[in-house]
Amino acid sequence: MVSKTLNAPNGYKVRISLKTALGEDAYEWNQSEMFFFQATMAFAMRRHFQMETYNVDNIILCVQTSRVSFWFVVTSPDNTTMLIPKADVEKAVRMSRHRINNAFLLSDRTLEFLGIYPTLAAPVNPDTPPWLIVFGVVIGAVCVGIIALLISSLLQKRRKEKGMTEDGQDEEDMQVKGVENGINLDGTYNRGFTDDDRFTKL
Amino acid sequence: LIENKWDNPMQFVLACVSYAVGLGNVWRFPYLCQMHGGGGFLIPYMLMLVLLGVPLFYMELAIGQKMRLGSIGAWRAISPYLGGVGMASVVTSMYLCLYYNVINAWSFWYLFHSFQSILPWAECPVNSNLTGPVEECERATPTQYFFYRETLDISGSIEENGGIHMGQALCLLLAWIIVYLFIIKGVKSTGKVVYFTATFPYLVLIIYLIRGVTLHGSINGVKYMFTPKMEQLAKPTTWINAATQIFFSLGLGFGSLIAFASYNQYNNNFEKQAIIVSMVNSGTSIFASIVTFSIYGFKATFNYESCLERVRLLLLNTFDLAEDTISLENVNHWIAELNRTHPEQFASLGGRLETCDLEAELDTAVEGTGLAFIVYSEAIKNMPVSQLWSVLYFIMLLLLGMGSMLGNVIAVITPLSDLKFISVLSYLVGLVCLFCLLLGLGFTTRSGNYWFTMFNDYGATFSLLFIVLIEVITVCYIYGIKRFEKDVEDMLGHRLNCYWKIMLAGVSPILLIALFIFYIVNYIQGGTPTYQAWNKELGKSVVTEYPPYAQAFIGLLLASSVCCIPLTALYTYCKKRNLASGKRERTVSTVSA
Repeated sequence: MVSKTLNAPNGYKVRISLKTALGEDAYEWNQSEMFFFQATMAFAMRRHFQMETYNVDNIILCVQTSRVSFWFVVTSPDNTTMLIPKADVEKAVRMSRHRINNAFLLSDRTLEFLGIYPTLAAPVNPDTPPWLIVFGVVIGAVCVGIIALLISSLLQKRRKEKGMTEDGQDEEDMQVKGVENGINLDGTYNRGFTDDDRFTKL
Repeated sequence: LIENKWDNPMQFVLACVSYAVGLGNVWRFPYLCQMHGGGGFLIPYMLMLVLLGVPLFYMELAIGQKMRLGSIGAWRAISPYLGGVGMASVVTSMYLCLYYNVINAWSFWYLFHSFQSILPWAECPVNSNLTGPVEECERATPTQYFFYRETLDISGSIEENGGIHMGQALCLLLAWIIVYLFIIKGVKSTGKVVYFTATFPYLVLIIYLIRGVTLHGSINGVKYMFTPKMEQLAKPTTWINAATQIFFSLGLGFGSLIAFASYNQYNNNFEKQAIIVSMVNSGTSIFASIVTFSIYGFKATFNYESCLERVRLLLLNTFDLAEDTISLENVNHWIAELNRTHPEQFASLGGRLETCDLEAELDTAVEGTGLAFIVYSEAIKNMPVSQLWSVLYFIMLLLLGMGSMLGNVIAVITPLSDLKFISVLSYLVGLVCLFCLLLGLGFTTRSGNYWFTMFNDYGATFSLLFIVLIEVITVCYIYGIKRFEKDVEDMLGHRLNCYWKIMLAGVSPILLIALFIFYIVNYIQGGTPTYQAWNKELGKSVVTEYPPYAQAFIGLLLASSVCCIPLTALYTYCKKRNLASGKRERTVSTVSA
C-alpha cells in the first residue's frame, strides 16, 4: 500500500488510472497487461533508436502498487547491466506517446509518466477572429436598418410635399378628452368652469 | 412635442418597466439579499418600496404628464427658482449615458465570443513556449483572466494609462449605433422597441430559472439565500441599503420618468401605472435573485466537488491506493484515517492538501460587473451546451442594459429638444450619441475600468439623493401640495387619497433626509476613497487609494450636478431683480417725459 521513494536515477514512475479513463469498461490490470506494457516500451525503444534488438526482457518493472503505479528501467540489449540514461528513455517515450496511449485505450492524463510532460496542443489561430465575423454581421444589419429608416422618412416627406397641402391641422389640436360626471365629452375641456374652490367662500 | 406621443398607454408602461428593470435588479439585489440576511431582507425592502419608492415614482410621473416637458422645462414651470433641479438631472443623466453604455459594449464582446466551440473563458490559453498555461491565468482563474486581460487589458492602477482597446471601441460604437437606431424617431421608434426590450428578458429569466433549478447543487444556493437571518434586521445598514436599492432601482431623479410621462395623453391613469411598474420592478428583483442563487449554488457545488476530487487524487497518488478505495463521499474520513496511520507521509503533503468547504464557496458574495461577467460566466462554462446558455445570458444582459440606456438618453434628449437648438430630432439624437461615444472611448482605454468604477460609485449616487430631496420639498412645500392635488385631480378625475399625501409630504422627505445624512457621514468616515486595482503578478484585486487628481475629479463629479441647483436659483433671482428694476426705470422715464 505504501510507495517507497525509490532512488532510481534512470527510472520512471508510471501511473495508470483505468477507472477514471474507462469507467465501467475498465479492464483488469494483471500480469498480462504488465507484459503488454513491457512489449510496448520495447517497441518505443526500437522505434527511437532504430535498433531491432530491444526486447521485453530489457524493460524491468518494480514496485507495483494497487493504484496501478510502478517503476521501470530500461537496460541496454548488448549489456544487461547497463541502464539506458533517463534522457534517452524520455525521448523514446515522447516519440511514441500517442501509440503507447492508444495501445492501452488511455490518454496523456490517465497514463502518466511522472516527469515527462505532454506537449500541449498549439493554439489554433484563425485568420479572422470569429468574434469579428459576428460583429461584422450585426453592425452591418444595424446600419442597413438605420439607412432604411432614414430613406423611408425622406420618402415620406417628399410624398407629403408632392401631395395636397390640406392637412395643416393634422395633430396640433389632438383633443383632450374630458370626463365630466362620467360622460365622455368630445369637445375641448374648458378650464374656465373648473371649480377651484370646493367650498364657496362666504 | 405634442405630435410625439406614445401610441398607446401600454408602450409607456413597457418603457418604464424596461427602464427600471435593469442590470441592478440582476447584479445588486441578490448581493444585498445575501449580505443582509436572505429572506429577511425582503421585509425592509418591501417597506421601503411602500414608503419611499412608489410615492416618489408617482410624483415624477405626475410632473411629467402635467407639464408635458422634459425635466428642465418642467421644473422651471413648477418654480422658476428651482429650474436648476432639471439641469442637475440632465447633468447626472449625461454622466450615466457616458459610462453605462460601456457595460453594453462588454456584453456585446462576450456575446460575440460565445460563438466558438470552446468558450474562451473556459480554459487558460497556452503560453508562448507551449509548456503550460499563461502565468497570470494560472494564478487567477480563466474567467477572471478573460475579463481583466482579454476584455479590458487592464493596467495596474488608475494612473497607468494605455491605448484604446480596439475590440472594446468597436463594441462601444455598435452599442451607440443601436441606441441611435432605437431613438432616431423619438418615442415613435422607442415605443415599438420597448415591446421587445421589456418582455424578452423575462423569457430568458424563466428559461434560466428552469435550467438553474435543474442544475446539480442549485438547491444549496437557494436554501442559503432564503434562510432568513433575522438578526441582520437590527443593523441600520440593512434598512439604509434597502432604501437606496429601491431608490436607484426605480431610476428616480434622472429625469427619465418625467421625460417618458411627458409623452403621455393628459388623462392617462398614471396612478395605476406607477403602482404596477414599481411592483413589477421589485418582483423582477426577487425573481432574478432566485435565478442568481440557483446558479451560485451550482457553481459553489461544482467548485466544492472539484476540490474534493483534487484532494482524492492527491491522496490516491501519494499513498498509491487503488482507484476505487476513496470516493467523493469518504474523502474526509480517509484524510483522518491516513493522518492516523501514516503521519510522516501525511505531513509531507504539506500545503498541497486543500480544505474543501461548501459554505465558504457560497459565501463569496459578489456584486456588479464581477458577478455578471466573472461569476456567471464561470457557472455557464460548466453547463452542458454552454454556448447556447452564454448567448442567451448575454442577450438578456444586453436587453436589460439597452432598456435602461433608452431611458437615460431620452432624459437628456427631451429637455434639449424642448430648448429647440436643433429642430430635426434625428440630428439632435445623432449629435448626442456621437458626443457620448467620443467621450465614452475614454472608458475603453487600459485604465478605463477604474474610471468606470469611479463614475459608477460617485457619478450618480449622492447627487440623485440631493436632487430627489429637493424635488419632493419643491413639489410639496414650494409648489404646494394643494396645487399638486388639483393638478392630479385635473388629470385623473379623482383626488389624491391620504396615502399619497402622507407619504409625499411627510414620510418620504424624512426618509430622504435620513439617507442623505447617512451618505455624508459614511463618506467622511470612510477616509480616502479607494478602488480595487488588478495586480497581474498576484492574479487578484488589491485595494488601492485614489491619487489626488482622481479624488479631485470625484469631487468635481459630485459638485457639478448638485451646484446647478443653487446656481440657477441665484441666476433667476438676479434676472428677476434686473427685470424689476428695468421696469421701474421705464415707468419713471415716461412720467418724466
